[in-house]
Amino acid sequence: MSAASGPEIDVADYRDVWVFVEQHEGEAAPVSWELLAKGRELADETGEALVALVVGDGVAHLAEEAVARGADRALLADDPVFEPYRADPYGEQFRALVEARKPSIVLIGGTHTGRDFAGRVAVPAHAGLTADCTELAVDEEGLLLASRPTFGGSAMATIKCPAHRPQMATVRAGVFDAGEPAEATENAADAVESVDVVVAEEDTLSTVLERVVGGVVDITDADVIVAGGAGCEGDVTPLVELAEALGGEVAATRAAVEEGWVEPARQVGQTGKTVRPHLYIAAGISGAVQHLEGMNGSDMVVAVNTDPNAPIFEHADYGIVGDLHEVLPALTAMVREKQEVAA
Amino acid sequence: MNDGWNIVVCVKQVPDADDVTIDPDTGTLNRSDAPAVLNKPDHNAVESALALRDAVGGTVTAITMGPPPASAVLQAAVAAGADGGVLLTDRAFGGSDTWPTSLALARAAEELDADVVICGEESTDSSTGQVPPGIAAHNGWAQLTYTESLDPRPDEGVLVGTRDVEGGYERVAAALPVVVAMVFGANDPRPAGLHRKIFAETEFEPVQWTAADLDIEDRVGLANSPTKVGGMDTASPVERERTRVDSVEALYDHLAEVL
Repeated sequence: MSAASGPEIDVADYRDVWVFVEQHEGEAAPVSWELLAKGRELADETGEALVALVVGDGVAHLAEEAVARGADRALLADDPVFEPYRADPYGEQFRALVEARKPSIVLIGGTHTGRDFAGRVAVPAHAGLTADCTELAVDEEGLLLASRPTFGGSAMATIKCPAHRPQMATVRAGVFDAGEPAEATENAADAVESVDVVVAEEDTLSTVLERVVGGVVDITDADVIVAGGAGCEGDVTPLVELAEALGGEVAATRAAVEEGWVEPARQVGQTGKTVRPHLYIAAGISGAVQHLEGMNGSDMVVAVNTDPNAPIFEHADYGIVGDLHEVLPALTAMVREKQEVAA
Repeated sequence: MNDGWNIVVCVKQVPDADDVTIDPDTGTLNRSDAPAVLNKPDHNAVESALALRDAVGGTVTAITMGPPPASAVLQAAVAAGADGGVLLTDRAFGGSDTWPTSLALARAAEELDADVVICGEESTDSSTGQVPPGIAAHNGWAQLTYTESLDPRPDEGVLVGTRDVEGGYERVAAALPVVVAMVFGANDPRPAGLHRKIFAETEFEPVQWTAADLDIEDRVGLANSPTKVGGMDTASPVERERTRVDSVEALYDHLAEVL
């Protein structure tokens, strides 16, 4: 590495695996616990400690939960300046912690907040940051191997950070299993260390005027997903009715979301959510790689499309050539009929 | 602030990857020789920059980093209505990851005395979204990522952005200078006017800056990029049955296996 790129560092000074516990109003983002479980595996492999970083206001309970979920220690920065999340105070606090404690690996959820945070903090640390990873491993030297889909999902690129620390990665939500916290947590508080808060409100660059959150669906937990694309042509009723009959959720491609037919929280694919349901019904979806990337982990994929040559048929277990506005209602009727017979 | 704001819009030239598909047998990419185009999300950034100029006055300057042909995206921004363009071009920039890339853009924004820097959400070829917060971090400026709309308040010297926070939204007032990343699809980009288009194609010449012009020649490029590509694997294609059925009844029978 070049001496001009910043102070020369000795990578051997950097130890431990940190997980940034993203939270909002005291509630942890699910991806935080997914990363903690994965971080445990990596730390066991490198023989280092797993450290949870909990930043917020009145969030000691999350630090304790992190310990119950496998962290060896939790660092707690608890102050009103940290609620709600803002990039600059979080970034400044993180910078100070990294400087003092020198973590080797830092994992951050690939959410809007996580990516906003990671992009900010990687710069002052001169850290290597890999975006939106879906696979994490360590090599024989203990280097983080952060892999992410590239070229629209047709290839996996593995990124390393040999000479800079920390090695940072944002990681897709829904890729790793969160596991369950341990039952016995009586000593959890002992493993929580409150750190000095280095940020004051008057030094911040922004003010959150209003924050409205809630009532938004999470499609990543659904067992059945009925997804629509451009073929919906503005009418998603057949999707909604089939999803209802199957006890599933409606999802969509970017195209359908951009048309305004389906809300953004339901978007599946490279710039949307990653889902792994038992059954994924792709209706009126051509099968662009960016979409496939978000649903390739589904157990069974069914394709409905008017174009017999649509690429989606090559990525489906069962395909039927037809208009979703006819096929889906017929399927819905059949599902309901069988349910009535069963009842 | 009487003369309006110095608005800088960052744009990137990327391969047009709209119609790529995966060959299910080999897992490789099927793409025709994709032409180089303006990164789609950057159209929303350009529109936001122009709308901001409409609201508060000032100038819009497009900047990009890349080899000389990349000035085509500056031309596109100027055709849409930007006042000028700066091309950051130098062999020294080659191999830069997001750290030095955001440094170069940050230095250029400083050089242009920017009040507001507007970027697209992410590039379609690398999709990291790391450059906008990187620019803000290098300069110690405020940042508004995943922004859906902007509400400038020149009297207070702040820019209010409505941010998509996954599950809702928040409105954040940021002190200037500020770096904004617009959500892809946040607005309807205006079409280029004919006269502007002709100007962009015939008369417009971008200003060119090298790494040395920005005093960062020993802080950019591959050597100063923390991340290295350690390997590239073909994503293993997911095994699928690929069975066609010709009736809804037959389809239902297959679904019944998992329901």
